[in-house]
Amino acid sequence: MADKITSTLPLSRVKTIMKSSPDVSSISQEALFTTGKATELFIQALAKFSLEQSSDSSSLEYKDLAEIVNTESTLQFLQDIIPRKIKVRDYYKICEKREQSEK
Amino acid sequence: MAERPEDLNLPNAVVGRIIKEAIPEGVNVSKEARLAISKAASVFVLYATSCSNNYALKAKRKTISAQDVLSAMEEMEFEQFIDPLAEALEAFRNQQQGKKEAIAEKKKKTTDSNTSGEGQGDEDKEGSEEEDDVTYQGEEKEDYIITVNEDDDEVEEVDDS
Repeated sequence: MADKITSTLPLSRVKTIMKSSPDVSSISQEALFTTGKATELFIQALAKFSLEQSSDSSSLEYKDLAEIVNTESTLQFLQDIIPRKIKVRDYYKICEKREQSEK
Repeated sequence: MAERPEDLNLPNAVVGRIIKEAIPEGVNVSKEARLAISKAASVFVLYATSCSNNYALKAKRKTISAQDVLSAMEEMEFEQFIDPLAEALEAFRNQQQGKKEAIAEKKKKTTDSNTSGEGQGDEDKEGSEEEDDVTYQGEEKEDYIITVNEDDDEVEEVDDS
């Protein structure tokens, strides 16, 4: 599945992100390398999978990503990062319904 | 050591290139999709780090090891990444081994050339050879540990990204 990945993520940046997560005390060089490589595989998998699900296979749009993030269980951790877009008027409808149900 | 918010995301150019490599030629990726994937990748790093850190803590270790990351992949239901990651790790280890042998050889060569009297100045070249942005802790330890020193800021960290 993993075709040759030529460009690699800068490990110094990956390290900064890793160290920003709470209660992480130290990271071995190999763990840093493995996390960087896993993230590259993740980016590829996310792009490939959302393109496959997309209606128009010649372009990858935000809604394709939002679609799989909200249906695929393994991507649940991204639901607030890539939410589905809704129109403002739909949003108002939802608020009205909620108000009525609260009365 | 406060990180600036913009430090916490991955460079979009590299992410863009990685995406291009994954999808067929001629498919255009909207800017919004690219930014969403880049943000998702940063969140993936955080998610993977906290999972692997749990494995390290469970094993009463303070340092996250590569094995912790692989176990975290399994827990996060990304098992399909484990084999390619193990392969990449093997290649990385060989490459690290090669680098260490090259440095050891160079040290041996410079000491020989010194004892034999010419002593041309290739010491400084060797200094630049070992550039790395991690702080080494203890030569004998097989694994170079990246320490998080909360009190003093990362003055010696060379950011070569």
